[in-house]
Amino acid sequence: MARVVVDVMPKPEILDPQGKAVTGALARLGFAGMSVRQGKRFELEFDGEVTEERLAEVRRAAETLLANTVIETFDVRVEPTPESAGAVDEAQNSQAGNNQAENNKAENNKAENSKADGSEAKSAEEAELAARAG
Amino acid sequence: MSPKIGVVTFPGSLDDQDALRAIRKCGGEPVSLWHGDDNVDGVDAVILPGGFSYGDYLRCGAISRFAPVMAEVIKAAEAGMPVLGICNGFQILCEAQLLPGALIRNDVRVFVCKDQDLQVESVDTTWTSEFTVGQTITLVLKNGEGGYVADEDTLQRLEGEGRVVFRYLNGNPNGSFHDIAGICNERGNVLGLMPHPEHNIDPLTGPTQDGRAFFSSVFNFLAAKV
Repeated sequence: MARVVVDVMPKPEILDPQGKAVTGALARLGFAGMSVRQGKRFELEFDGEVTEERLAEVRRAAETLLANTVIETFDVRVEPTPESAGAVDEAQNSQAGNNQAENNKAENNKAENSKADGSEAKSAEEAELAARAG
Repeated sequence: MSPKIGVVTFPGSLDDQDALRAIRKCGGEPVSLWHGDDNVDGVDAVILPGGFSYGDYLRCGAISRFAPVMAEVIKAAEAGMPVLGICNGFQILCEAQLLPGALIRNDVRVFVCKDQDLQVESVDTTWTSEFTVGQTITLVLKNGEGGYVADEDTLQRLEGEGRVVFRYLNGNPNGSFHDIAGICNERGNVLGLMPHPEHNIDPLTGPTQDGRAFFSSVFNFLAAKV
């Protein structure tokens, strides 16, 4: 199983009343100094590999239906899952068009980064929980 | 022979019955169309009514825009058939790119339901020829996502080409750019607006009967065409 994520956000110049409402609610709850813009996240799951063709198809789907490009921007990315690690490598390699060694290096860095992001997020969450408990 | 005006019912449409009734009350022959229909051959004009088609899932009008009947409505509109989108119908027309721009959540962050004063800005459309430029009318306005937005180029083009058809008067209820309440396409046969003409044809139920002119306008257009 492979997963492609499409993130959709209102364009910066477009008013985001939902984000404003959330911002106001956070402030009332004591979460000061946070400005929120609210978007949407779509998770598209596929059997088999995420090929370049598949990604192009997802971009077309995003442009056609998932986002209204008059008011929104979208971002398409492959989300690595343990089972799809090999397929992701392949898709990203063909996209980059670089030599194999560089790709592998980039892939490793990417994996490390995402790992780091994950643990950071977790520790931030823990800190927040601790703070709230305190 | 009275003109046949189709009204599309999508799952979640609310004002289709009022639109059908308004057509009948104003002297036309109402025709019910279904979102799954594969043709609009039997009608002279089409109204996309208000409501919450497909539950407003994803974005207002985003799913309805791909309903089977819409492929035919788009084809007919591009060939010159009069099409009127009211409220959710306006959102569908924007999603379908028959009209430029988009409708976003009201800046006031609440659902607005009121009798809204409007200024008629253009009578050069199939649906507004019976008004006069500068005329003030009052129509029911009821929506949560009626803020009209478009990029600066589009706004300039709409203003320059006289395609802003209605403007909010005495206060902007939802944050619409340039106080825009309704716009039309280049040809003037496709009109979208947030307020509801179909609720304003009867002294018993509407604040005014200003909605009647939409119907007499299109009837006149269709009569002249024949």
